[in-house]
Amino acid sequence: MQIEKKIEDGKMTLSLSGRLDTNTSPDLEAEMKLDGINEVVFDLANLEYISSAGLRVLMTAQKAMMLCGGKMSVSKPNATVMDVFDITGLSSVFTIV
Amino acid sequence: MRRVLIYTVAFVLYAALLCVTWGIGTKQAEKKTEWQLDYGVIDVHDTVAGAIDTMLGHVARIAVRHVGSAEPLSMERMSAGAKELDIDEINVVNRDGLIIASNDPSCLGVVMAGDPVMDQFMQLTNGVTATVSQPFRPHARNPNFRAKYLAAAFPGGDGFVQVGLDERRLYKMLPSILGYIFDEWLFGRTGFFLCSDLQTGKFISNPSRHRDEATTLAEAGYDVEAASPYEIVADGTSYGKTFVQTLFGETCYCRAFKFGGHLFVAALPDREFYDTRTEFISVFAVLLFAVLAAFSSLLDKMLRDSDRLKAFYASAEKRRAKTMEIAKTIQTSALPAPLPDNPCFRLDAAMQAAREVGGDFYDYFLIDSSHLAFLVADVSGKGISAALYMMTAKTLIKDTLLAVRNPAVALTKANAELCRNNPANMFLTAWVGVLDLETGIVVYANAGHNPPCRVANAEYVQGLSGPVLAFLDGVQYKARAFRLAQGESLFLYTDGVTEALDSKNALFGEDRLADTLRAVGSAEPHHVCNIVRAAVAAFSEGVPQADDITVLAVTYVAPPRKASRSFPPTQAGIASASDWLDEAIGRFVGDGQAKVSKETISALHVIIDEVCSNIVKHSGASGFDLDIEVTRNPDGVKLTFIDDGAAYDPLGHVDPDVSLAVEKRPIGGLGILMVKKMSDSLSYSRQNNRNNFVVVKNT
Repeated sequence: MQIEKKIEDGKMTLSLSGRLDTNTSPDLEAEMKLDGINEVVFDLANLEYISSAGLRVLMTAQKAMMLCGGKMSVSKPNATVMDVFDITGLSSVFTIV
Repeated sequence: MRRVLIYTVAFVLYAALLCVTWGIGTKQAEKKTEWQLDYGVIDVHDTVAGAIDTMLGHVARIAVRHVGSAEPLSMERMSAGAKELDIDEINVVNRDGLIIASNDPSCLGVVMAGDPVMDQFMQLTNGVTATVSQPFRPHARNPNFRAKYLAAAFPGGDGFVQVGLDERRLYKMLPSILGYIFDEWLFGRTGFFLCSDLQTGKFISNPSRHRDEATTLAEAGYDVEAASPYEIVADGTSYGKTFVQTLFGETCYCRAFKFGGHLFVAALPDREFYDTRTEFISVFAVLLFAVLAAFSSLLDKMLRDSDRLKAFYASAEKRRAKTMEIAKTIQTSALPAPLPDNPCFRLDAAMQAAREVGGDFYDYFLIDSSHLAFLVADVSGKGISAALYMMTAKTLIKDTLLAVRNPAVALTKANAELCRNNPANMFLTAWVGVLDLETGIVVYANAGHNPPCRVANAEYVQGLSGPVLAFLDGVQYKARAFRLAQGESLFLYTDGVTEALDSKNALFGEDRLADTLRAVGSAEPHHVCNIVRAAVAAFSEGVPQADDITVLAVTYVAPPRKASRSFPPTQAGIASASDWLDEAIGRFVGDGQAKVSKETISALHVIIDEVCSNIVKHSGASGFDLDIEVTRNPDGVKLTFIDDGAAYDPLGHVDPDVSLAVEKRPIGGLGILMVKKMSDSLSYSRQNNRNNFVVVKNT
């Protein structure tokens, strides 16, 4: 998986491409230093699929943002990823753009 | 050159036949000469004898008139009568055959009746017979001279008068008798008679027509010594032999006889003999010449015609060879190139064209990624038109197969098209199969073609769909099907294989082909083709190949669908399992194989990630196996996870409540839920101290 990180005025944009699973989620977790960040955007346009390990990272980010009053959103998930969001009830939790 | 020969032979033949004709002509002329001489001699003899009979009869009748009746008369009276009548003997005989009066006293009292010689005269007493004549014979009482007797009856047969003529008197009489007979007497065209006095050799006949001064036979050139005169016997059966004499300077064929002290010669100049022969030969010569000339010129013409024919055939043969070459090029160029390697089948085909093109062809192509079409066909007819028709048929069948995939429908459509445009009334047999690469099912249509053979058990696929193609418009071909097992081969061929002949005119035949294929076993298509071709070649060794020999073998290989691998119970193991899915799917999915969508693959990755994470994190297993199988009906992928960790049934848990607000949810516990939701069926079992978790995801 490739992670492209961009921080601008406290807004962190993480563009993910490839697979977000047990194997790769630790990498994403390591990239997510949320100090001073009040908005996190996950660009999932190029994400092939996501497993529960990946969901865990997204949920972690969501919780962190809710604690600090910030925002988190995911953008352009593909059908497979959207399926996973639906199955896990996360599609109603996440802000999906 | 040959012409000269013909006419030389004809000429030699003509000469030889002329020689034969000459021989035959000579024989014919000899025969005719003999016959003419026979005729001449008999004629002259009978004429002379007849003249004497006439004269004596005349004398006898005068005597009868003078005597009046059978009364005794004096010797003086009888002698005077004989003298007057110029005869030697005269007797008056009464009804009883008794001589009652005679000029010869020794005759008086002689009884004729019952006498071996004289009894003949007694018929004169029957009242009907007028005269009886006897030829010259030795005189009864004086054998030194010959005499002739003739008698004439008194009216009513009341006795008769017999007159006798001595040969010596005849000698004197002959010149006067012959005088009127012999003048200008000819026989044949140039034959003539001579008569001469035996004692003097003087002619009594008139040789004036020869304008010769000769008065004797000797002067005329007649060699008495060399001549062979014969006396004519009384019954006229012998007329003497022919001999050659030179008379009046002319060579003549002669016959002669002595009569009454004279020598009679019938002479036929040899020019008449030659004329006869020449005539005969000329007729034949002309006829022969006409026949031989006509025959020679006819023969010459025939040979020249045959030369022209030979030249015509030679050029026709050249044209035909060229035609065959073109046709063969068309035929060969129509054959498909080998297909790229495909995991689901192996195929090989070969066509060995006969010296004269037979119109075989084969074809194979992928209709789509999972259907292989293959066919073998045989067009009737030879030459360019057959080759072009073959191209048309091949294109039509391929086009329709690509469009409809069902070989029966393809043949039905192709047949209609082929019937529509078939001016030369050609037809073709074809066997078309479509192999489903995923199932091994072969749907086929057979239009009058030889049945293919399943190599494994050498069993022929006998099904027929309809008649030969391009024969009947509107035929609906029926589709038939059978299933090839994994690794099973099918062998197609044309009649060039089964109808190959050996030196004893025996057919290779289906039984021999079956035996050959039975021995082949599970060889590759390439070897199957080669083995059959070699068997046919060995069988018909020394016999020229009469027809194209086409072979095609196809082996079905079921696509791989299942694979298994072991992994260590680590993070790296999970990553490897994920890679393994990609590898396995990549291997199982491709041309002619199952299709698995990208979304399905992603879902499978998620499932693997979840299940493996559980195993690695919670089971304490020493490792795990992942079986990946592509399934059919329904199409899908089956994943089997096996681990030797603690017994754990992923299905034995209550699903987490996903409706809770995110802050109230435990992080984790979603994995199994996702697996459940993203798959179509799940099952768990514990076997041999191992967890067996099966996940099926349909595509």
